[in-house]
Amino acid sequence: MLALPEPKADILARRDEIVAGLRAILPASGVITEPLRLKPYETDGLPAYRQIPLAVALPETTEQVAAVLKLCHSIGVRVIPRGAGTSLSGGATPLADAVVLGLMRMNRILEIDYADRCATVQAGVTNIGITQAVAGNGFFYAPDPSSQLACMIGGNVGMNSGGAHCLKYGVTANNLLGLTAVTIEGDILHLGGNHLDAAGYDWLGLITGSEGMLVVVTEVMVRILRGPEGARAMLAAFRSNEIAGQCVDAIIGSGIIPVALEFMDRPAIHACEAFAHAGYPLDAEAMLIIEVEGSVAEQDDLLDRIKRLCEPFEPLSMRVSQSPEESLAIWKGRKGAFGAVGRISPDYMCMDGTIPTSRLPEVLRRIGEMSDQYGLKVANIFHAGDGNLHPLVMFDANDPDSFHRAEAFGADILKLCVEVGGCLTGEHGVGLEKRDLMRFQFSEPELERQRRLKDAFDPAWLLNPAKVFPLQDKPRQAA
Amino acid sequence: MSAPATEAALAEAIADAYAAKEPVLVQGAGTKHGMLRPVQAARSLSTRNLSGITLYAPKELVISARAGTPITEIKAALAEHGQHLTAEPPDLSDLLGVPGNQTLGGIVATNLSGPRRIVAGAMRDQILGIRAVDGTGEIFHSGGRVLKNVTGLDLCKLLSGSHGTLGIMTEITLKILPAPEQTGTLVIPGLDATAAVATLSAALGSPYGVSGAAWLPPDAAARIPELAGFNASVALMRIEEFAASVTYRTARLAQDLQPHGRAELLGDTISRSVWRSVRDVTPLTVEPGEAVWRVSVRPSAGPGILAATGLRGFLDWGGGLVWLVGDPASHPAVTAAATAAKGIWTLMHAPDSLRASADVIPPEPPVLAAIGRRVKAVMDPAGILNPGRMAAGA
Amino acid sequence: MQTSFTAEQLRDPDIQSSNKILRTCVHCGMCTATCPTFVLLGDELDSPRGRIYLMQDMLESGRPATAEVVTHIDRCLSCLSCMTTCPSGVNYMHLIDHGRRYVEETYTRPWHERLLRNTLVRVLPSPSRMRWALTAARLAKPFRALLPGGVFGSRLRAMLDLAPTHLPPRQVVNGVHRADGTRRGRVALLAGCAQQVLAPSINAATIRLLTRLGYDVVVPPSAGCCGALTHHMGQHDPAMAAARTNIAAWSAEMAGEGLDAILINTSGCGTTVKDYGFMFRDEPEQAQAAQISALAADISQFLSRIGYAPTRDPAGLTVAYHAACSLQHGQSVTAEPKTLLRKAGFTVVEPAEGHLCCGSAGTYNLLQPEIAGRLRERKLDNIRRTTPDLIAAGNIGCLTQLAGAGLPTIHTVELLDWMAGGPRPAALPA
Repeated sequence: MLALPEPKADILARRDEIVAGLRAILPASGVITEPLRLKPYETDGLPAYRQIPLAVALPETTEQVAAVLKLCHSIGVRVIPRGAGTSLSGGATPLADAVVLGLMRMNRILEIDYADRCATVQAGVTNIGITQAVAGNGFFYAPDPSSQLACMIGGNVGMNSGGAHCLKYGVTANNLLGLTAVTIEGDILHLGGNHLDAAGYDWLGLITGSEGMLVVVTEVMVRILRGPEGARAMLAAFRSNEIAGQCVDAIIGSGIIPVALEFMDRPAIHACEAFAHAGYPLDAEAMLIIEVEGSVAEQDDLLDRIKRLCEPFEPLSMRVSQSPEESLAIWKGRKGAFGAVGRISPDYMCMDGTIPTSRLPEVLRRIGEMSDQYGLKVANIFHAGDGNLHPLVMFDANDPDSFHRAEAFGADILKLCVEVGGCLTGEHGVGLEKRDLMRFQFSEPELERQRRLKDAFDPAWLLNPAKVFPLQDKPRQAA
Repeated sequence: MSAPATEAALAEAIADAYAAKEPVLVQGAGTKHGMLRPVQAARSLSTRNLSGITLYAPKELVISARAGTPITEIKAALAEHGQHLTAEPPDLSDLLGVPGNQTLGGIVATNLSGPRRIVAGAMRDQILGIRAVDGTGEIFHSGGRVLKNVTGLDLCKLLSGSHGTLGIMTEITLKILPAPEQTGTLVIPGLDATAAVATLSAALGSPYGVSGAAWLPPDAAARIPELAGFNASVALMRIEEFAASVTYRTARLAQDLQPHGRAELLGDTISRSVWRSVRDVTPLTVEPGEAVWRVSVRPSAGPGILAATGLRGFLDWGGGLVWLVGDPASHPAVTAAATAAKGIWTLMHAPDSLRASADVIPPEPPVLAAIGRRVKAVMDPAGILNPGRMAAGA
Repeated sequence: MQTSFTAEQLRDPDIQSSNKILRTCVHCGMCTATCPTFVLLGDELDSPRGRIYLMQDMLESGRPATAEVVTHIDRCLSCLSCMTTCPSGVNYMHLIDHGRRYVEETYTRPWHERLLRNTLVRVLPSPSRMRWALTAARLAKPFRALLPGGVFGSRLRAMLDLAPTHLPPRQVVNGVHRADGTRRGRVALLAGCAQQVLAPSINAATIRLLTRLGYDVVVPPSAGCCGALTHHMGQHDPAMAAARTNIAAWSAEMAGEGLDAILINTSGCGTTVKDYGFMFRDEPEQAQAAQISALAADISQFLSRIGYAPTRDPAGLTVAYHAACSLQHGQSVTAEPKTLLRKAGFTVVEPAEGHLCCGSAGTYNLLQPEIAGRLRERKLDNIRRTTPDLIAAGNIGCLTQLAGAGLPTIHTVELLDWMAGGPRPAALPA
């Protein structure tokens, strides 16, 4: 079980003063302090880890965020930034002596500029909210994490979120133009703008994916792209994980980059089908969702090529979506995959390692062996084009032994990812969950370098501490 | 100039300089030596002997090479498998007047990207992993060799475009993609800059995946042999796809753009050559004593930069990238125009008198500058790596 | 998610059911995004996930509900948008129903709140009391400005605002309405309570259309309110009593001449009737209740099933279809009403944010007028952007909530009846 730092007694003792300070900045409904009302804020999308925070602050403007941070900095209070609370790595897990800074009320679209193809939105706008705001003009915001319905753009910046379509369109970092962010001292920074690239250091690049440890993002300027003429998905079902993996290689090797290339194993297919009723092939061991874009003729052409590439692998079935509704259902299953596992297991832990795609069959085989060894079921969902693997380890949180086995199983999977040349996290972030595994990917001096870069932004380690880096022997974090 | 052949030797050389507290000029092939500010250093070091491709997995879309590997070598290896460098990095040796074979490390350290930047991301967006040596001689890595990785702070981005001031990259892993089967270009001649940017904007707002959008005034167009025959300014729009798609999409786009003007189609070979010229900024010639600026603004502000400065130039990135050449005395006018448009500017090349005395990139606001100093202190505590390259005293 | 009910607590069938629901939730947070109160208020506590957490804590602790918890449970519209969104299949409806009942059983509301709720519970399900109250409200309208401020006053004002200035004459629909021509089948119609008073034309249109299509329509005189209004206020016993009466009435019909379907043209009621099977899971009427839930259908489902066809030329009108939450989320009926309206020759447009509630939500617009008002405005803004000629919906609550904004609000079945030979809906300007 991961340890959270001991709350600072001196901060807990100054609770009333902190709350009074927050109340002076925010309207009454924007400060939550009663224990009962704080409880739902004790966790995020990783409910295995919980801690009730000292208070919750819900600002509505960048200036209020700055004032809250200034207050917390002056007293030495830790701050946990939070968006929709959908983090699967515990990125928003609170601390008992921390103020949770919720940006959910900052949910306004500020500006849309079609001529220059960019939009400025507040951090609490949902990922899909951006696309919905510009869809009427045929545009979209490209990164599409599975939680895009709920997750907020500020959190996407914090975790550098990806999605099913990032093989073609890139992840959050590749689609950002600018940020308004606030330092722990309460200074407001404007980084980037509606132009491309930086002339000096790439602060935008460093802050993206910094998991709320460097600054608090309040406004985001993103690139919006004109959508293709159309898109269509097909399903291909295979007799084994190995064969499906070989088929992925054949497609990529042919020079075709499908806009999305998703892999699901048997347990995942069954869980998702129960939710989405998309006609997934229940007889298959593995399934690919392959999506192409373009005009109808271009789609036909690409799908024909892909079908020809699949055929040597003797697919059990290949089905091309015949309508936008069918494509939607196919994606509904995939995007609801994590939650859908809630239908077959009371709890799950979603891993997020990336592996070299050629190692997929081997990795899945070894995960299967571990599953037997730990006595826990696992469903695998895989962004096959980019090697990002999501094993969903199923367990029963009411059974402490089951939970501990799940933790160990998950850690073993991630160590395996690193061992085969991959990494601990492809798009969910290290958060709390993978913090102690960082040693398997970085040497101690490398970790220390990253810690010192955090020092450069937040010397007192007040912003989202206790995440990303192993706690042991690091008084800065744990103190 | 020392040119270590191994990472360990390079680290040792830096550790030695760190111990001696002696500044080091760091470069690859030196082709961008004239960019930004001149570096005064007792020692100099090149990565050119750290050369060679260390990993190439075409089906996994990754390639790793040592920092001193010439770009041409990487391109040739990729071409054998029908792949290419997505960000289309330019070769500015003609423009900057330093012939040579630029290195992978050099193009990443300067984060220069070509016309495809607008759809495929910048050079920095392709970096999956790096190994590097910091200003004390310590070796570190960031990222890895997989396409998606958010593990820990992203030092790949921090070092991209840092001009060797935060660390010396020794090995770089890039994401690569299949090269398109064919390239086609629509040309609409005779538009002024404002009308052209409106046209480019319409093209980029179309569903046809335009991967290059530039405008050259008549004098610049005349310097590209394939375009000289237009005897006019040209708005260029590129589509890169499978052959059938290029045919289909250029036709549809030409039709959609009719209100903007009549478009002519350039075929594959000519297109590739024209876009190489745009990429390498060959439509501009630099006379001795002249300066070169690169301004990045929102695309609709591009024409205003040309007009406000009155310099020779052209527009890429749909109007958002403005290349300017002319009298160094125009520096305040360029920086003022770019700042007024809320954009950024880089003095790419200038006589040493200007390079040494003026800001070559926009100064950062105090809060950010203070963070920058602290970051620099983490990466290069003695301040020995390319001192003064990006800003005086930094 | 983890739960910590004791073995003893789990002997209570309601706790058992809620435990199962809580265990299904994986806390992914998808539900927050489509929850109207979270979208408006931006607080986890006013999201389904937050309320699930609060209810879990309340039920596990076994302590009486507190004012804080009640505030957030009361703000829930029970629109069930979260259930449409939830990938895990969490039955939020049963959980919040349990939570509301627990609140009513363990929490003492302030006197004015009790007065208001008791009045609503007595008035709304009874057509005769409802007529009387609406007449009184109409007479009181001129004195609106004299009402006190605060929660109490604002709720009274909300009631006066919602009360129509003109009440249609009483129409009795009880009894059997025989099919025109050859009889194809026999159905029961839930005549409803509030709807009968506010818009008797809906039942009239339903009966005309069904008899024209060859169905006997039975409205058993003893059947009445479905129990939804009280059920959603946590008033378990009156809700069960109302439902029990209906179960008896319809069971008698099923045992007699038989029923092909039990039709509901107020989707709020439909959701509840379809849930009778669950509500009576531990009651003697269990089998009949389950049978009734299985037979229950929204009028649009039934018309799609038997084949509706218009007889008039298209009216050339653009209809903004407003999907009532109880229909789209509560019953997952989404395509049928739109398909039928298109078949009837209307141009159907779907406003943005169609998944968000209009604020009606049973008695919600009376109990939470501020949030309901904001949702109404948001809904109307989205509807106006589609520049329709009228708004169609399958639920009287929504029709009342969205009325008075310059656009006619008409029940789907009235439009379908019109195009199939019935009279032009009175609400439609000539």
